[in-house]
Amino acid sequence: MASGRVPVEERLFSLVLALLATEAGLTKQEILSTVQGYRQRYIPGGDNANLERQFERDKDDIRELGVPLETVEPLGEAGNNQNLRYRIPKGSYELPADVRFTPEEETLLHLASMVWREGSLSAESDRAVLKLRSLGLAPAEPVLGYTPRLRARDDAFEPLSGALQKSAVVTFSYLRPGMTAPTSRTVEPLALFQHEGRWHLYSRIPGTDDVRTYLLRRIVGPVTVTSRRFTPPAGDQAAIGLAELAKVWNANTAVVRAVPGSDAATRLLRRRGSVASADEITLHFADASILADELAEFGPEVVVVQPESLATAVRERLERVVAAHAESGGGA
Amino acid sequence: MAEKARAKVPQAGDKLAFLLVLVPYLMERGRVSVTDVATHFSVPEEQVRDAVRLIAISGIPGDTGTYQHGDLFDLAWDDFEENDEILLTNLVAIDDSPRFSAREAAALIAGLQYLSGLPENADRTAISTLMAKLSRGASATPSPVAVEGTESNAVLAVIRDAVDNGTQLGFDYIDWKGEAGHRIVDPLRVESLDNDWYLRAWCHMRESVRTFRIDRMIDPASTGEPVAFRTRDIALGESLFEGSRDDIVVTLEVARAALPLLADFSPAAEEPTDDPEWVRTTIRVPHFHRLKRLAAGMSATVRVVAPSDARAAVAEWASAAVSRYTGNPDPVT
Repeated sequence: MASGRVPVEERLFSLVLALLATEAGLTKQEILSTVQGYRQRYIPGGDNANLERQFERDKDDIRELGVPLETVEPLGEAGNNQNLRYRIPKGSYELPADVRFTPEEETLLHLASMVWREGSLSAESDRAVLKLRSLGLAPAEPVLGYTPRLRARDDAFEPLSGALQKSAVVTFSYLRPGMTAPTSRTVEPLALFQHEGRWHLYSRIPGTDDVRTYLLRRIVGPVTVTSRRFTPPAGDQAAIGLAELAKVWNANTAVVRAVPGSDAATRLLRRRGSVASADEITLHFADASILADELAEFGPEVVVVQPESLATAVRERLERVVAAHAESGGGA
Repeated sequence: MAEKARAKVPQAGDKLAFLLVLVPYLMERGRVSVTDVATHFSVPEEQVRDAVRLIAISGIPGDTGTYQHGDLFDLAWDDFEENDEILLTNLVAIDDSPRFSAREAAALIAGLQYLSGLPENADRTAISTLMAKLSRGASATPSPVAVEGTESNAVLAVIRDAVDNGTQLGFDYIDWKGEAGHRIVDPLRVESLDNDWYLRAWCHMRESVRTFRIDRMIDPASTGEPVAFRTRDIALGESLFEGSRDDIVVTLEVARAALPLLADFSPAAEEPTDDPEWVRTTIRVPHFHRLKRLAAGMSATVRVVAPSDARAAVAEWASAAVSRYTGNPDPVT
C-alpha cells in the first residue's frame, strides 16, 4: 500500500464519500478496513484502538461542518456496538432543491455575513458563504458606504456557543455586581443573545424549570463544558430569553438630570425609550449596575434623581475613581 | 496541549468544506478555468489546483472495497495540466451542495436579525422568508443565537441617503470635550459596532477624516451640495478609532478580566503588576476627556498610573461629579 501518509483532508473526504454512497450504512470495521486513510493503517485481526479513536474524532469534525453523519442500529441487535452502521443520508446532506436565493436575498446574505468581522461566528459565516458560492452566489461587490458590525469579544462566547449546539451542561464562575468573589454556576445553556449591545446567556438550572440570564462579561475564567447532556425545551429559546429581558427593561426606569447641551443630555435623550420632561430624562434599563457604569462615565454632566439605589451606585463608582487617582493613591 | 492538537483540525476541516462545495460547483459549471474558480471562491489558484488533484484521485471503496477505477472521480488531465482548465469526467457519491451546519445558519440568521432594524430593510417579511429558508437549508435546527434588531432610526436614514446620493451633510455636534459646533461633512461610510453607530466623514472644518458618533449628531440634514470626496477616493482604515500623532500615551493598570474591553484602544502588550489579577499596559488617547470617561466607566477595573496630569484630570472629573451628589460646591471650577 501507499507508504506516504494520507493527508487528513483526504481521509475525511473519503469517509464522507463512502458514507454518502452507502444506503444501508457501513460498520466501523468495514470503514477502518476499506476507506482511504484508514485502510493503510488497519491491522487485520489486530489491535486497532488508535484507529478507532481517530474515527471517533473524525466523525465529530465532519459533523461540525454540518454533515449529518448518522448511526444506525440494526433491528433486533440493540446494544451490540460492533454492528452499528454509519451513513450520511443524501436527503439530509443535500441542500433542499427549493433553498435557492433571489438576487435581493443574495445582497442581504452578503451583508449579513459581513456583519461578523471577528470571533467564532465570523468563521461560521465565512463557511456558510462558501456553501452559498457553490450554488453560484457571486463574490460580493464591496458595499463601500456601509459596514454594520457585530462582535462577540467575551471569552465565554465560544465555549458557550459550542455547548449550546451540543446541549451540554456548563459550569463557570460568575461575578455578581457588588460582590468581591465569583461564585460557581452550573446551568443548561438555552440561548445566547445580544441585548443593548451586550451578550447574554439564557439558561436553565438542571433538574428545574427555573431560568436564569447571565451577562457574558461577568463570567470569570474558563467555561467548562461537561459531558452531561440535556433536552432543551421546545420553542425559540433566544426569542423567549430576549423577550424576558425586554420585559425587565420595560419595567425598570431611572430618572436623571443632565446638564443642558452637554454630551450626556444629547446621548441619553437619543437612547431607545428615553423620555424627556422639563429638565429630567427618564431612562429604561435592564441592569442597574451597567447603567451605573454608563452614567458614571458622564461624570458631572449627569446626576441621578431616582431610584436612590442607582444614585448610590453611581456615587460609589465616582468615589472609587477619586480614591484610585488621588495624589498618593493608586499604583506606581 | 490538547488545545494545540485540536487547533490543527479546523484547517483540515476547512479544506474538507472546500472539497465538498467545489465538487457540486464544478458539476454545474462544466469546463472552467482554475482562474475563474479561484476568483469565484476568493481563494488562491494553488488551493484550487490542490483540491482538484485530490478530488481526481478520490472516490468510494465500491463493491470490491478496493477503489476500482469506476469508483473514483476522474478529470480531463490533459486540459488540467496543459491549459489550467477543470473538467470532471466521472462523478461519484456527491450530487448537490451541502446543507449549512446549525452554527453556520445561526451566524447568518443572527446577522440578518441585526440588519432587520435598518431603514432600508423595512420589509421585514422578506427577511423572515430568508431566515426560514436558511433554517430549512441547515442540517440541524440553527443554534439559538439572536441579536436584538436595531431600532429603525430616522437619523440613520437621513445619513444613509446622504452617503448614497453623495451629498454633504450638516449637523450640530458635541465633541468629546463637550464643545458644540456646526459641522459640514462629506459622509463616507456608516459603520456600527454592536449597538453603537458611527459616521466616518471628511470634516470640512478639521480638514481631515473624522469618526462621528451618530447619537451625538443633532438635526443632521443634507445640504444638497455634492460632496468633494467619496468613499472610493479616500482609503479608510479598518479601525474606527485611528490614532493620530498628537495622541497622549497613558499608562494604565487594568484588571486582567477587563482587558478585552479596551480592545478599541489597541493597548500595548501587557506587563505584570504585583497583583496577579491586574496587568499594566499603555494606550493612546486623543485627549484627557476620553480618558476621564474610560476611567469613570470602568471604575472597578481601570486605574490611570501615569502621566500625573492625566491622573489629576481623572480625579478632578470624578470629584466634580461626586460633589453633584454631596451638594458641596464644586471645588474645582
